[in-house]
Parts: sequence; structure tokens; C-alpha cells
Amino acid sequence: MEVDIVCVGFGPATGGFLHTIAPKLAEMETPPTVICYERADGLAFGVSGVATRARGIRASFPELDPAQIPMAAPIREENLLYLLDPTGASRRSVPVRMLDGIAGIARDNHAVELPWIPGFLRKDGGLVLSIGQFNQWVSEQLMMTGAVQVWPGMPVAEPLIEKGAVVGVRLADQNGEPGMDIRAALTVVADGPVGPVGRRLDEHFGVPPDFERNDWAVGSKMVVELPSDCPLAPGTVYHTIGFPEPDIFGFFYVHPGNLASVGIFVPSWFDSPVRTSYRYLQHYMMHPFLWQYLKGGKLRSWGAKSLQESGRRGEPWLVGNGYARIGEGSGSTNVLSGSGVDEAWTTGVQLGESVLELMPEKAPYTSENLKRTYVRRRREGWLDQESRVAENARNGFQRGFLTGLIGMGLAGVTRGRVTVHANSRASQDRVQPVERYFGGRIPAAEIARIDKQCRTDGVPLHDRLMDRVGWPKIPFDGELLVSHQDALLIGGKVQGAAGFGDHVRFVDHELCELCRRRICLEMCSGEAIAPAKDGGAPVFDREKCVHCGACLWNCDNIQFAAGGGGLHSAEN
Amino acid sequence: MSNSFHIVVCGGIVPDPLQTLEPVIGPNGPALKNELLLPHVLDPWAAHALYEAAHLAKAHAGSKVWLVSLASKAKLQQVMMTVAQRVPLELVAVDGPSGGFTDSFEVAAALAGAIEAIPGLDRTRLLLLGGWESASRAAGATMQMVGERLGITEQFQGVDELTVGEDGSLRILERVEGGQHQVSVCSGPPAVLGWATGNLPEPANSPQIGMQNMRLILPALQKAKAAQVGAGCTFANVALPKQQRETRMVKDTPVEEIAREIVEWIVAE
Amino acid sequence: MSETILLLAHTEADGSLSRLALETLAAAKSLGGALVVGLIGGDVQTAADSIAGCGAARFLSVAGEAFAESRYSTDAAAAEALVKAAQATIVIAPQTSRFARCMAGVAQRLGGRIDTHVTAIAEGPQITRWYYRQRMEAVIERAQRPWFLLVESGIAEPYPSRDREGAVAVEMLPVEVSSRTRVLGRQAPKAEQQTIRPDAKLLFVAGAGWTKKQADGAAHIDDAARLILGFLAATGASLGSSKSLVDLSGEGQAVLPFLSHMNQVGQTGSTPRHPKGLSTCCHGEEPHVVGWRFIRERRVINLDANCGWARGKADVLYVADAFAVMERVNALLAETAT
Repeated sequence: MEVDIVCVGFGPATGGFLHTIAPKLAEMETPPTVICYERADGLAFGVSGVATRARGIRASFPELDPAQIPMAAPIREENLLYLLDPTGASRRSVPVRMLDGIAGIARDNHAVELPWIPGFLRKDGGLVLSIGQFNQWVSEQLMMTGAVQVWPGMPVAEPLIEKGAVVGVRLADQNGEPGMDIRAALTVVADGPVGPVGRRLDEHFGVPPDFERNDWAVGSKMVVELPSDCPLAPGTVYHTIGFPEPDIFGFFYVHPGNLASVGIFVPSWFDSPVRTSYRYLQHYMMHPFLWQYLKGGKLRSWGAKSLQESGRRGEPWLVGNGYARIGEGSGSTNVLSGSGVDEAWTTGVQLGESVLELMPEKAPYTSENLKRTYVRRRREGWLDQESRVAENARNGFQRGFLTGLIGMGLAGVTRGRVTVHANSRASQDRVQPVERYFGGRIPAAEIARIDKQCRTDGVPLHDRLMDRVGWPKIPFDGELLVSHQDALLIGGKVQGAAGFGDHVRFVDHELCELCRRRICLEMCSGEAIAPAKDGGAPVFDREKCVHCGACLWNCDNIQFAAGGGGLHSAEN
Repeated sequence: MSNSFHIVVCGGIVPDPLQTLEPVIGPNGPALKNELLLPHVLDPWAAHALYEAAHLAKAHAGSKVWLVSLASKAKLQQVMMTVAQRVPLELVAVDGPSGGFTDSFEVAAALAGAIEAIPGLDRTRLLLLGGWESASRAAGATMQMVGERLGITEQFQGVDELTVGEDGSLRILERVEGGQHQVSVCSGPPAVLGWATGNLPEPANSPQIGMQNMRLILPALQKAKAAQVGAGCTFANVALPKQQRETRMVKDTPVEEIAREIVEWIVAE
Repeated sequence: MSETILLLAHTEADGSLSRLALETLAAAKSLGGALVVGLIGGDVQTAADSIAGCGAARFLSVAGEAFAESRYSTDAAAAEALVKAAQATIVIAPQTSRFARCMAGVAQRLGGRIDTHVTAIAEGPQITRWYYRQRMEAVIERAQRPWFLLVESGIAEPYPSRDREGAVAVEMLPVEVSSRTRVLGRQAPKAEQQTIRPDAKLLFVAGAGWTKKQADGAAHIDDAARLILGFLAATGASLGSSKSLVDLSGEGQAVLPFLSHMNQVGQTGSTPRHPKGLSTCCHGEEPHVVGWRFIRERRVINLDANCGWARGKADVLYVADAFAVMERVNALLAETAT
């Protein structure tokens, strides 16, 4: 099939792109065909925080009234909290303990509200959003123009590359039928940091020198229905640091309608080999400061996604012959402010403006033309400037939590001129062996025993090790605190779409046989990866996979391809 | 004689059945909590009817398929993004509430009105298909009423199979008690068929069908007339059924013991 | 009350009234008001006689060969005639497939309204019915008349019918019909293939877990089939399934060939009535569990101690591997039988 422009993935980046070009296309006599294919079964099934300054979004919607977008609220109050550890189970270095001691003087509910929020974190005049509801709302506006088509439930497997140019995409095979080829003059690649099309382009065309994507995080969040007597108003924002582990940042945003988003980021520089996000998220919710608001609430939905935390260092070639990259997969996320949605939107707008510039010229979408329009706009805008400031902001975390905080502060305050230096390493190279990570807390012999038992029982290590170092058992109540498997059933159930093959595969089974670390079992957001009974490659269950991509950056031996299904919650 | 049909499929939209559903009583009567936030799908048995319609149309050249739906335009548009990739169809949209607490009589009036207004619809070749019961009102009433309003007195419900004979007759299997089917033969259209699941698998998404359908779907949504549809009755109460048992957990128990206990329970009176 | 209640019932193949029809009669009587009985069938005298003492002011009927069959055109015409002749304001009929097929159409024809799947009738009248596939229950009243009600079994103790002869004078209404439909009969899966047994004492539900990859990384479909069919053969249980499992069968995957959509319980499937139910490899999501409403004793085998069943939806949850347990259960049943 042939179209003029094909977009891969419908998120804020493609939203920004299509929103920019659609009105102009709607005016044309014979407009070009513009189609977007999105992997998820619905446009509302994305996952993200979101508390955003929304500069790009507001520029695109000058009359924006947040009340039009379900779950949106203007930010009215922002707080930055340092959370102490009431359980004593988290792993805290001596300097961090000292910090705890100082902070402890001013604490209330095991938390200290910092008197001031650094400018780079503040989201003044911004919005709290549900990315799912926002994306869906944007798609409604788009469909009304009649100028573009967006199709969910259509994963794109790979780009079509001929003679050094991208000439379109190939859709994923379904029901035993090979996926259709969609040829296009311009392929807009917006499939996020773990999208297969973007990664294939990196493989084929290479990456810029200094390109590096070592830093990642799993963002894991829940949407909670707050108890009816909760005093927090919509638009209340909490950023937190310090708990459940110093390296794990958290957030708590209040939406209208008595809903809240609460989540954590489990980063690749958190070197625990059993870094599971779900249980940590539950402990986070039960921190006394948060629990005072959440207790008695009800879980509405849960989701997880990988964030590319290398920011600008992870920027690939933005354009080539026949293609352009936008959004998080193009390295647009600002890792200093921890914001990505508005940045992704803005890259989409920039590409949209470029396409509108090239169209009347009837100029082909060559690398040159896209550079002089899109890349130029990108370099000139606030996005790139701020991204440069942020570029090395998180380096310090490679060396430790406090160093990381100091590094971020320095970067923020000096606008990127002074940063902490560190050699970043790939996640696989930094993660510590279990004995070392828990050294001093659990004797090696005991670890060996627990490991053996877990292998026999066919379960990951994280629960037993976390129990052992003092993390309290989660008191499941079936309402807010539910088992990991039950969370997959809430908000419409994680589903494996019919007709698609397994999209997660283990490449070298012998390697899996020998693997001691088995981090894939620990960190899979949906428990979709489970140990095989008699050793060998783990078993993958498509019906539990939320397509977060954490497996991709935790282990080199895992292939993560395009597939349908995943979350079915519209509220994340 | 070649058989071709004008197939009109009536299908509402409902929240994806795996979502959490709770009723709330508002000033206009009961509604679903957060209805607008919930992802919606085409009513499951109506969707089966649609696939059967497409299958039938493909097998009988000259046939045409319309999908008539009463729903809010915004939600219907979202559902179309999925449905429109599956089968060729022409959408007739009626703007109104899609919840289950609306009255079947009033909904049938709106749907029948929209069907009567379809230009070029040949009533002598009309097959009116839909879901036997919806996943919302779940009463199994609306299709019959639409049929009556259109003067169709050959009607079938709980249909799992339709075979068209050489002579244009319709051999129909309907679900009856005891897991059985009743077999009937109708001489031909017009007829109403309220489908159960049938036997066809869900069609795969097709980019070409999507593109083809989209051209007409937006205009159909834009010209959707508003329909006034109410509850038609007074609700004294709407609630989730309360059925809570004390679940006894049997863990860390040998398989043999569990098996014995189960067998004991099975054979006990 | 000033309502005229018409009880509509059709006869069974042998001319009798079903248990559900008798329950419906009892419910109709409980409303008070003037009661009229309307019967549809090939020959209705025996049926009428069996309820001669029910207190109906009149017995009306539409009978004859054309009305022996379950068919929309003829049944609708018959019901229409009966409602008009009775001048009924409320029409109560059993929720059988025969009446479910046509009663809404009759309501439309007469400018009335209808509520189906009625589970209770109280003074008013106020009725209780389901919405959202039995996930919600509502109590409603209507002002419009005639008001048609299709009632579910369990609504009342059945009216005690008695074999009598010549007890009732039945008014036969002449109804002309032309129908374009011939009923050929019923079709059932072959006896040994029939896995749906409404009268079984036990419902056995198979969930999607049977077809999943097990701990050894492989699916064991053949074992699953053997164990399930073996259990059904040993116990005469009825087979139900979750939606996900029957959907798999529909995708053309080689799953369990003896399963079809007819086996689905809950969601858009059925709500069977059995005294006992055993669920295996099924997580217990709400849309499925609503189908278990009428199963009295519920036990579950699932590897997940935190599955949906664990929270008040089952009596006992065995946290165990269903393959292993059913292997032993079948063996023990075989021993018990010998």
C-alpha cells in the first residue's frame, strides 16, 4: 500500500506532528495521505506521570482549557519531599544516613518538605495529565479534521530500507499472514525509546559519535481512587526522593475526580540485581507521608514503561533519506527536569512545521532537506538548549545517590556548565552480583540457600531477599494493595492481542542456562518472564507483557520486537 | 438467480467487558461511573453479527453492509478506529447515549428511524443483523423492536449459523435450552437475526480496509443526528450484587491430599 | 390493584407446562389483580386442566399445529391476540428461548414496554432485573402499559399443577398467520461430544491456564484434553469455560477441540445452574465470575494464591497445579468407581 506520510507510534510526539499539519491538509484540494500506525490496542493505553510545563502543548492549543481533557488539572501546588525510611530496609550509604539524621530533625510523617524547589524541577503554570486521556483527546481533535488517519492495534515491525533510504514500513505479521508493506515518501519514526523501528534504524544507519544509551529507568505507576475524605486538591504535585531506596525517585500527582497518579522510577544506576519495580511501588505508597492520603483508596489501574535517561546523549541520527525521528526515541527527554511529554510534543511540532515548509516546494524528504528544516528547528529551539544544559545532569548518579543529587543541582544552577564527570556504563555492566549487593546484610551462604530454594520453587529472588533485609510483607487488601498478578487484571486487564507471535525472545538459550544473574525474572514489570522448570531460557507469557521494554536494556540476550496487546487502561 | 443482500447491522458500544463497572445514580437516572473514561468496544455479539455480515457480503456479490450505531460521537469515533480496520462497512451514526440504562423501546425508535432514512435501502433484500443481547442493557429486546418497526415478522435470536441456499432461502441455527440449536428455514429476506457468537474468528486488521472505510466514517459522524433517548422507567435502586464468601485457602498441601478432598466433595450429596 | 395480569405460557412437546411456567404462574398470582391465563401450543387442554384451580378469571389460548413450533411470526401473532383479548395491562411470561425470541416484538406491536431476565417481582409492581450482563441489579417501575415481563427461574415456588381432565373451559382465539419460516427441528452435538449438561450436579470450568506454557516451557494441550475429558466422563459434569479459552479455540489455534463458544460461562456466555462448581486454571475475573451466580458450592484450583477467586468468590481455593491435582482426582474417581 502506498501513502505519502506514515507515522510509527501514536504518542505526544506524533500528536504534535499531526496536530501541526492536519489543519493545513484539511484545506487542500488533494491532500497527501497521512497515516499513523500505533501498536497498542487503543490510543489511550499509554503510561506516563505526567506533570508538565506544557509549553509546547499550550503553544499548539492557545485556547486550551484543561477541563476539556479528562483527568487534566492546572498545577496549583508543587512540593519536593525528602522521604526517610521508616522500615530500615533500604540500602543507605553513610553519607545518606547522615543526611537522614539532619533531615530527621525537621521531619513529619517520616518526610521532610524541602523549603524550595529548584527551578529546573518546577512546573509553574503547568498541567497534571493522564497521558492516555491526553493522547485520546488529541486523537479526537485530529480525527475531526478528517485529514489524517490513526490506526491502533497495528504494530510496525521494521522500516523498509532500499538503497540507503527509508521507503516505508512493514507491519507486524498477524494470524500467520505476513505484515503488509506500507510505502511512503516520509516515514516519521516516533515509537519511543524501545520501539523496534527506531532501533533498527540505529543498527542500519549507525549512530552519532558519542551516542550512548546506558541510562534507563522503569517508570511504574498506579492510578488510585483517593478516599472520599482526602483533603488534597486537584493539581497538587509531590516530587519525592529518598524512599523506597535513595536512587528511586517518586511522584504523586492529584487529578480531578478524586484520582491520583503515584509512581516511581527504578533507574539503571540502582545497582540491585533484584530491582523489581512493582513491590517497590507498593512500599512507596505505604510510606507514612503518602499513606496518610492513600489509605482506604482503591487501585484503578497500573502501568509501566521504560524511560531513556541518557537524554541528549542518546540522540540518534535525527533524519535520513525518507525518514525523521521525533519524540523520546529521538533523545528529546530532558533528564534534568525529568520531563518528556512536552518535549516530545515539541519535536513533533518542529517536524510538522518542516513538512509544511517542504510541501509547497514539492521538495523530496531527503536527508539534506530534512536537516535544513527539521534539524535546524530542533537546534534553534528551547528544547535543544535546555537539553544541552541537561545533558550531563545525571552523570553523578553513576557514582552514587548523593553525588548524583549534587551533580543535578550543579548542572541546574550553572545551566549545565558545571557537571559531575562519570563514565557511564551499560546497565548489564554495572549491576552487582547478589552477594555483593546484599553483602554485609545477608551472609553468602544464606543467599545461596535462598537462591536454590527460589530456583526449585520457580520464583524470582526479589521477594525473599527483600523480606530478608527487612522489607515488611505487603498487607494485601484486594482494593489498593493487590498482588502483582491482580494488578494486571485491573483497569481492563493486560492482554495478549490475538494473532501475534511472542515479541520477547531469548537469543542464546545456552547463555540463559549458564546465567546466574537472571535479572530478567526480577525486573519484568508484568511477571511475563518466568523461570523454566528445568533451566534453560525463561518462559515468556505474552498475556502479561505491558511492553515496557525493561528486558531490552537489562539484558543483551533478549530480543524485543513489535507485537500487539499490553495495557488496556485509559487512565495512565 | 444470484442472491445479494442489503445487510444492516445494529450495534451499540459498551465498555470493554474487562473494565470495572459500577453504577452511579445521577439527576437523570443511573449511569456508569466514569463511563467516558472507560475504553469502549463494539458490543461483542453485535461485533460477531458484523463479521457474519461481512462474510455474507463477500460471498454474495452485490451485497452491502451498513453499521447503524447509537452512541456519543466521540466514543463512537474511538471504537471505529478499531472496527473500521476489520470489515468494509458504511457507518450510519446516531448521536445519543450508549449506556445500558436507556429504554429499548426508545432506542429501537431511534435506530429504526435512522434505518428508514438510509438512501437506496432495498427492504426486500434486507437482513437486519445485530447482537441477540447487548453487554449493556442485556435484555435481548431492541433488535426485535427495530424489526417490528420495519415490518419484519421473520425473526431469529441466539443465532450461531446462517446458510444461504441456492434458492435464496436462509437456513438458521438458533441457540435453545440444553446446549442445543433449533434449525429453521426461512424463505428469504427480509429477516431479523440476533446473533450469539457464530463460528467466525475475529478478522485481522487490514490497512486497506481501514483506509477505504475512513473516507466515509468521518462524514457519517459529522452528520449524525441527535436522538433523545431516556430510561423510560423509574429506578428505585441500582447496585452491584453483594456476594462475599469466606474463602478457605489450602496452600502448601500435597497434591494427594487435595485430590482426596476434592473427590470427597464431588461425591458427597 | 387495578391491573389485569396475563400469564402467557407455551406448552412443552408433551403438552405439559414446564416448571418455569409454573413458577411464573405463581409469580403472576402473587401480584394480586385480575388474572388471565393465555396458552400457546399445539394442544393446550391438558396444560389448562393442570392449572385449573389457579384462580384465573379466564383461560385463553391460541392453539393448533402452526403454534406447536417455536417461531417468531406465529408466536408473536398468538401472543398479540392473547394480550388484546385479555386486555392485559401486565403480561408475565417465562424466560424461555421461545418467548425470548418474540416477546419484545409483541411489546413493540402493542405499544408497550418490556423487561427481561426479571428475578423478583414486588408490590407496585416493582421488578428486579439485571443490567450489564448480570454485573448490576436494578429495581424499577414503569408507568407505560402493557408492561411485559419475562421472568427467570427461581422467582417463586412453582404453582402446584395437578393432572386433571376436562376441568377448564378454554377460549380458543382464531389467529390467522402466514409464515415464511419452517422449523425443521433441533440439533444437538452427538451425545459423547455433548459437554454441556444442564442437569449435571457439577460444573467443571476450564480456564486459559490449561493451554499455557507450563513450568517446563512447553504447553501440554494433549494432557489438558485428556484430563478434562477424563474428568467429565468420570463425573458426568458439565463443561464450562472462560472467555479467553474459547476465544483461543476460535483463533484457529490447535487448542481444545471439544470447546466452543457454547461452553463459555460469564461475560457474553451463559449462567448455568449447578449445585457445585470446580474452576481450574482460571483467574476469576469479574466478567467471568458473574456467570457463577447460581453455582452454590464453589471450589477452585489455581497456582496463584492471590487470584480473584481468593477474595470471597469461592468457598475453597487450592493453591496447586491443576494438571497434577486432576491427574490424581481422575485416578481416585476411577478407584471409587471400581
